[in-house]
Amino acid sequence: MEPARKVYLQPTPVRIWHWLNAFGIVTLIVTGAQIRFPEYIQLFSGYKSAILLHNTAGLVVAVSFSLWFFYYGVVARNMLKIYVPSKDDLRFGIGRQAKFYLLTYFLGWPNPHHPTPENKFNPMQKSAYLAIMFVLMPLIALTGILLTNVSPLRELVILIGGLKILVAAHFLLACCLCAFLFTHVYLATLGRTPLAYIKPMWTGWEEEEPDRHSHPAA
Amino acid sequence: MCIHREPAFLPILLFLTFVIPAVAIAGNADCLVCHADADAVGETFRIDHLTFDTTAHAALGCRECHTSVTTDHPGDGIAPSKADCRGCHEAISAEYARSTHQANADCRDCHNPHVARGPAAVSGADMNRQCESCHGRLDTTLRHAEWLPQTDLHMAMLPCISCHTASEENVITLYIIRRSDTLLGDGQRLATYPELKELAEGKSISSLIDRNEDDYISLTELRMFNSDPENRMLRLQGMITPEAVTHDFRTLDNRWDCSFCHASGPGARQTSYVSLAREDGSYLRIAAEKGAVLDALYGTPDFYMVGATRSKVLDVIGMVIIAGGMVMPVGHGTLRFLTRKNREHKEEE
Repeated sequence: MEPARKVYLQPTPVRIWHWLNAFGIVTLIVTGAQIRFPEYIQLFSGYKSAILLHNTAGLVVAVSFSLWFFYYGVVARNMLKIYVPSKDDLRFGIGRQAKFYLLTYFLGWPNPHHPTPENKFNPMQKSAYLAIMFVLMPLIALTGILLTNVSPLRELVILIGGLKILVAAHFLLACCLCAFLFTHVYLATLGRTPLAYIKPMWTGWEEEEPDRHSHPAA
Repeated sequence: MCIHREPAFLPILLFLTFVIPAVAIAGNADCLVCHADADAVGETFRIDHLTFDTTAHAALGCRECHTSVTTDHPGDGIAPSKADCRGCHEAISAEYARSTHQANADCRDCHNPHVARGPAAVSGADMNRQCESCHGRLDTTLRHAEWLPQTDLHMAMLPCISCHTASEENVITLYIIRRSDTLLGDGQRLATYPELKELAEGKSISSLIDRNEDDYISLTELRMFNSDPENRMLRLQGMITPEAVTHDFRTLDNRWDCSFCHASGPGARQTSYVSLAREDGSYLRIAAEKGAVLDALYGTPDFYMVGATRSKVLDVIGMVIIAGGMVMPVGHGTLRFLTRKNREHKEEE
C-alpha cells in the first residue's frame, strides 16, 4: 500500500497561537462561568481568583489574537486568501460542504475539500472563521477591555449604551464562542480517524485523504 | 368680676415678662441672625441656615448644646460651651470608645453637628468625604490596589463604611450623576439640586424620576428616566450603602471575601433606592421596585455587579445559544455512530 502523502498545513507560529488560544479560551469560559454564576459554580477557590485568572486569560488571548493577526497579515500575507470565502465558495462550495456534513458523510463519501497551505479551510470553515476571528473575537476582546476599565472609560461605556448592554454583549458573545467551541472540537474529529485533523495542529503535518475521482462528491 | 380678673392677669404678665424672652433666646433664629453671616462671625463660626434647620440637632435648639450662652453673648465675654456628644449619643460613644479609631479622631473630626444627618439622608460620596479628610484618596486607593481587583471602581461605588464598619445589611442606592463633558477621564459628579430643579421645570425634583409622585419608583419609571432624551447628560450610579451605621470600624471577615457582595446570585440584591439631592444638602431616598436592578438592560443601564445583579432572561438566552452548539456534536454524532458501518466499508475499498 502506497504511504499516504503528507502536507505541511500548520506552521509553527500558527500552532503556538492555536494552543495558546485554546488554553486561554477554555480558561475564560470556565472562569467566566464562575464569575457569572458564582452560586452554582465554584471551580476556583475564591471569586477573586476566578476574576484574576479570567482577566489574565483575557490578556493572553488578546495578545495571542494580535500575534495571529500579525503573522497572517504581515509575515505570511495570506490572511484574506485563507479566511475570506471566494465567489466560488459562496456559490457552490458552502452548499457542497454542507451536503457532505449533513448527508454524504453518513454514506461514507470522502470530504470534498482537500486542504493545502494556501487553502486549508473548507468553504464552511472559511465563513465560520471569518465571523469568529473578524467579528466575534474582536468584539469579545473589546467588551472585555471596557469591562476591566470601567472607571476611566465610563463615558465610552455610556456611549455604547451602558454597563448592562456591555455585559450582555460580552456574555452572549461568549456563549456564541462556547457554542462554536463544541462544534469546532466535534468537527475536528471528523477526519479518517478521530485524531486525523487534530494531529496536524500538534505536528504541523496532515495526511492527505485519498481522492476518489470516481466518486460523485469528489 | 375684678376679683376674678386679677388672678388671671398675673400669670399672663409673668408669661410675657419671663417665658417669651426665654423662648426667644433659646430659638435658633436669634443665634442665626449673626451666625448665618460670615461677615459678622467669620467663616469658622458661620452656620448654614438651610442645612442646619433640617438636622435633628436643630430641633433641640442651639442652647441645648451651647449651654453657657447668655442673653449678653458675645458681650459677656464667655466662650460658648460645647456639648459632650456622649450626653445624648451614649451607646454610639461607648461603641466608638472601644474602637481602634477613637485614638485618632474625636466625634467632631468626622461629624459637623450643624450638618450631621442619618445615613439615608447623606450621599455615599459625602460619607466618603468625611473619611478622606484624614485618609488621602490616592494613598487609600494604592493600599487597596494591593489586593482588590477593579480598585478604582470599588472606591467610587462604595462608601468606606460599607466595609469598614460592622454594618451587616447593605442596599443598592442609586444617585443621579451628571456625565462628564469629555470622553475620557473622571469628570462625572453627583447632580446638584439646582441642576435637578432646572430639569424639573417647577415641579418637585422627585418627579424627574418618580413621575406619578407616589414615593415609589417602578421599573417602568426607571426605564422612562433612562430613555428620556432630556436626561441624556444624567445617569444613575449605584452604590452599596449600609442601612445601619456602626461606630466600631471593624472590617468584618466577610468583607475580605468578594462573595459577600458578588457571589450571592440575583436573589440577594433586590432592594434598591433612588437618592436625590435636596435644597438643604441632604438626600431624599425613594424606594425602587424590588428587583429593578436585575432588569436586563434599561432599568439601571449603568449599574451592574458581577455575580449579583445579572438578568435571568439573558441567562436563558445564553444557555439556548450554548445548547445550539451542542446540536452538532449530539445530533451529528448520533447519526455518525449509527452509520459508522458505511465508512468502514468505504475504507476497505
